[in-house]
Amino acid sequence: MIRAVIVINDQGKPRLVKFYDYQPVEKQQEIIRNVYGVLCSRAENVSNFVQDSTFGPDTRLVYKTFATLFFIVIFDDSENELAILDLMQVFVETLDKCFGNVCELDIVFNFNKVHTILDEIILGGQVVEMSSSEVVKALDDITRLQKNPNSIVRVPKSISGWQGR
Amino acid sequence: MALSGMRGLSVFISEVRNCRNKEQERLRVDKELGNIRTRFKNEKGLTPYEKKKYVWKMLYIYMLGYDVDFGHMEAVSLISAPKYPEKQVGYIVTSCLLNENHDFLRLAINAVRNDIIGRNETFQCLALTLVGNIGGREFAESLAPDVQKLLISSSCRPLVRKKAALCLLRLFRKNSDILNVDGWSDRMAQLLDERDLGVLTSSMSLFVALVSNNHEAYWSCLPKCVKVMERLARNQDIPQEYTYYGIPSPWLQVKTMRALQYFPTVEDPSIRRALFEVLQRILMGTDVVKNVNKNNASHAVLFEALALVMHLDSEKEMMSQCVALLGKFIAVREPNIRYLGLENMTRMLMVTDVHEIIKRHQAQIITSLKDPDISIRRRSLDLLYGMCDVSNAKDIVEELLQYLGTADFAMREELALKAAILAEKFAPDLSWYVDVILQLIDKAGDFVSDDIWFRVVQFVTNNEDLQPYAALKAREYLDKPAIHETMVKVSAYLLGEYSHLLARRPGCSPKEIFSIIHEKLPTVSTPTISILLTTYAKILMHSQPPDPELQNQVWAVYSKYESCIDAEIQQRAVEYFALSRKGEALMDILAEMPKFPERQSSLIKKAEDTEADTAEQSAIKLRTQQQASNALVLTDHRPANGAPQVSQLGMIMVPSTSNVDQNVVDQPLTHSNGTLSVVDPQPPAQDHAPAGDILGDLLGPLAIEGPPGVSPQSELNNVPSHEGTLGANDALALAPVGDQESTVKPIGDIAERFHALCLKDSGVLYEDPYIQIGIKAEWRGHQGRMVLFLGNKNTASLDSVQAKILPPSHLKLDLSLVPKIIPPRAQVQCPLEVVNLRPSRDVAVLDFSYKFGTYLVNNRLRLPAVLNKFFQPIQVSAEEFFPQWRSLPGPPLKLQEVVRGVRPMSLGEMANLFNSLKLMVCPGLDPNACNLVASTTFYSENTRAMLCLIRIETDPADRTQLRMTVASGDPTLTFELKEFIKEHLVSIPTAGKPPAPVAQQPQPNIPPIASSDPGALLAGLL
Repeated sequence: MIRAVIVINDQGKPRLVKFYDYQPVEKQQEIIRNVYGVLCSRAENVSNFVQDSTFGPDTRLVYKTFATLFFIVIFDDSENELAILDLMQVFVETLDKCFGNVCELDIVFNFNKVHTILDEIILGGQVVEMSSSEVVKALDDITRLQKNPNSIVRVPKSISGWQGR
Repeated sequence: MALSGMRGLSVFISEVRNCRNKEQERLRVDKELGNIRTRFKNEKGLTPYEKKKYVWKMLYIYMLGYDVDFGHMEAVSLISAPKYPEKQVGYIVTSCLLNENHDFLRLAINAVRNDIIGRNETFQCLALTLVGNIGGREFAESLAPDVQKLLISSSCRPLVRKKAALCLLRLFRKNSDILNVDGWSDRMAQLLDERDLGVLTSSMSLFVALVSNNHEAYWSCLPKCVKVMERLARNQDIPQEYTYYGIPSPWLQVKTMRALQYFPTVEDPSIRRALFEVLQRILMGTDVVKNVNKNNASHAVLFEALALVMHLDSEKEMMSQCVALLGKFIAVREPNIRYLGLENMTRMLMVTDVHEIIKRHQAQIITSLKDPDISIRRRSLDLLYGMCDVSNAKDIVEELLQYLGTADFAMREELALKAAILAEKFAPDLSWYVDVILQLIDKAGDFVSDDIWFRVVQFVTNNEDLQPYAALKAREYLDKPAIHETMVKVSAYLLGEYSHLLARRPGCSPKEIFSIIHEKLPTVSTPTISILLTTYAKILMHSQPPDPELQNQVWAVYSKYESCIDAEIQQRAVEYFALSRKGEALMDILAEMPKFPERQSSLIKKAEDTEADTAEQSAIKLRTQQQASNALVLTDHRPANGAPQVSQLGMIMVPSTSNVDQNVVDQPLTHSNGTLSVVDPQPPAQDHAPAGDILGDLLGPLAIEGPPGVSPQSELNNVPSHEGTLGANDALALAPVGDQESTVKPIGDIAERFHALCLKDSGVLYEDPYIQIGIKAEWRGHQGRMVLFLGNKNTASLDSVQAKILPPSHLKLDLSLVPKIIPPRAQVQCPLEVVNLRPSRDVAVLDFSYKFGTYLVNNRLRLPAVLNKFFQPIQVSAEEFFPQWRSLPGPPLKLQEVVRGVRPMSLGEMANLFNSLKLMVCPGLDPNACNLVASTTFYSENTRAMLCLIRIETDPADRTQLRMTVASGDPTLTFELKEFIKEHLVSIPTAGKPPAPVAQQPQPNIPPIASSDPGALLAGLL
């Protein structure tokens, strides 16, 4: 299970914080501080894995750096580390598609949109969708609804639309 | 894509961003919180837009790390808003801010339920996401049926169904009763047929949670998982949007292989073949490529495939392929792959037989200990620790010691502990062990816990041969200009006890020893000063007649500390001063410390305790246990020179034996010296345990300061005085076996160990605090060869070792000579040849005894040379089976019996049981799916190879009974086999049997003793 997804910038400022295992806000901040401390001291060209005991002895931490941002996923040993890296890549590619070459500012000013995107990819600590094009489709529907709450969902109720796959 | 025109929010965010420091940020945030609070108070004036905006702001502030303790109600109330934009904000913010126990969340249950059962799919998605993220028990109880319905509905869109699957997973975790196992397993199987990859991915996650909880209920899903693997990895039958860098949904492949790892085996040969074909394809077809993302994805699949192969184990061919791959990975440039390669190699140690191959990579693994990445260094340390055994301990421990000097502080403590444990476990000789620990203290004193130096003291005290060496080493370290305080402690202690053994060497006269130790005194802390004071007293004691100059120096020290503020130091100073004026009597009072009682190393125990948590580490543990019984042993150890001698010494040293007591108690009376009258009646005990307070853990019972005179310890310690004079063998005869052996408790359940060994060929037969008996066996036809591994777990030798076999009449057993003495920490191997004459269920017994110190331990252990060891499983086709079956018409060659009181088990379990008994289940022979047919070949000298056929008819309505038919060409064999199977079906063989010192378990169904042969007689009695 994925316990948390965190995005912080290279100054340690949180940009997205989502815990799937409830933690009080002080604990969340402590975790973020600790993680930031560890990540800062990591050289380049080292592995993406860090030993982590935030949630007990079985937890693992995988991180990836994109420009000024650290993307961090904390999870337990029921997940595969490299697959979690794929997951981060899918998340970032989806952000790219939504914002067009995403940068830190996009995430800062659209943190609510980022939450919406994350909810389409991870639900309750489990991956719900790994195809970024599927996620983008779902997001398009949501955007339409936000702009015009009365509009009808794009995909018709008829089955043929999706069962062909 | 900007926020849908929420200007106020953007302005707020940029203002926060522009704050120059944390203080300004806090002021800005507090101002905003105050503003929101006032706006929420008169809610009437709020437009939906404003409400939305404020709730988003709350979430932003919360993310920055500020507690937002109000406004929850407003967020929750948005959930029931009629329009999507408000509703969505309500759902997202609520699921971030609240936890499952929050009161407001309960208020929302109804609104959430309405959205789930409503017809608006977008609302359904929002509601499912919230419940999946934070749903609690109450949600589980009230919403589970509705969520289930969505998941299996055929009219729902995949978008909804995939969320329903994960929502259901969350609810299942909160309350596992929500899914009725019987009904749900079929549904689950159907879900795994799903074509839509999104739904299938979610369903697979749900499935992993279910099988990890109870795989038995989901056997029917196993073939489906293999199908999924075939579809993805072989047929690549998958829509474009689900290929990721050209690989068909790596995520789903990984999840599916993870799910398969929760099943103990894959029985069906055709499914197994299909799965291994896919795995082979993955192992062979993965290359390191340039694109990082593609590499990650393909190796994610590859590592999962490796894990699955390791789990399914039996295909040895692929196992060596796996080791080869891992060997390649730990040397590649890509750090992630190097990391995982090391980690998986550590896991692989669990699989026996690859250990030697892994050792070939030792040099590479040691190189990784110097990797720039600390994550990799840690994995490398774990692996080195796991792969260490007697053969490579020296190399590995010396590498660790060398690395200790430059290692990161974050790793030093772990490194020191691991080096100490390995040195203790696998030391080829004890002087090397002492070297290692002293080096460890020298290089990383701050990271060497007290346990470590206590242990070295214990080893030295218990091994006379080691004492001069250890004292010399300690003396050498004292010459160094600056040494760690722990080194001062350990060398002072060792030199106090044993420096007299060095007396003739240069620089080792009592005076010189005293002055070099005393140099350190100004630099050490109070507990160490206490140890030094004791050391001085011991040095004085060893220099009889006293050297007046030395005596004056020491007395000067004592008088200086007579008024010390620390009570412990003061007491020691006063008492040692008084005692040291007793002249010769000092010899008795301050004699050498007695041997420590043997016990499990607290270090190793600690390591085992902390390791118990994660699967891979327990795998290491498992292997080290095996190793104890597999490693070859050095019998060239020094002979146990002194057991009797030592025990005599021990008698003198025992603090509370009466003659010593009198010495002390009498003398204060004869002297009218005022200082002596303050002497506590307990000092003798204390003198003998000078560091008792610190060494308490090691001293065990001896350190307990009971009232002088009669105490259980004194009796215990008196025993050697009687026995010491007798030859070991006489002692054996004299010692009351029953009484004494009850004090040595076996570790683990003997009966359970026996039963485990009936099903496998190597493992531990018996273990107690002193000895471990392992067994490894090979069977060929009617002959077998067993090797008994007798391992002494102690630092002192085991004496009077005797082993006798009480063979039943049907077995010819030939045990090679068992040595009388097992040296400290050594292991001896005793081969045992077995020949099976005829079928019988009687059991051979090993009568085993040894002596350790005062304990005489005697045990009768059943040997796992049982009926099924002489089976050779054989697969019989229908063409062969039926003619044979018919040719054996009825009793006595074919026997049938209705067995009642069968331990309930599924057909799969029963098939497993049969296979483990080497009765090969032949699927498909019996048209009735509730029945089971098995076959095997039995070998004995009388019968030669004999085909046996078994048929079990079960009653699905009543699992406690079945009808069994057994057929073979020999009447005795048929009968014995029938009874043998019955024994295994009827009861759980080991349940509820408390471990008994002489643990023999009554065998069910043993016929009344009719024969005269001792084995059968014994077995009958037991």
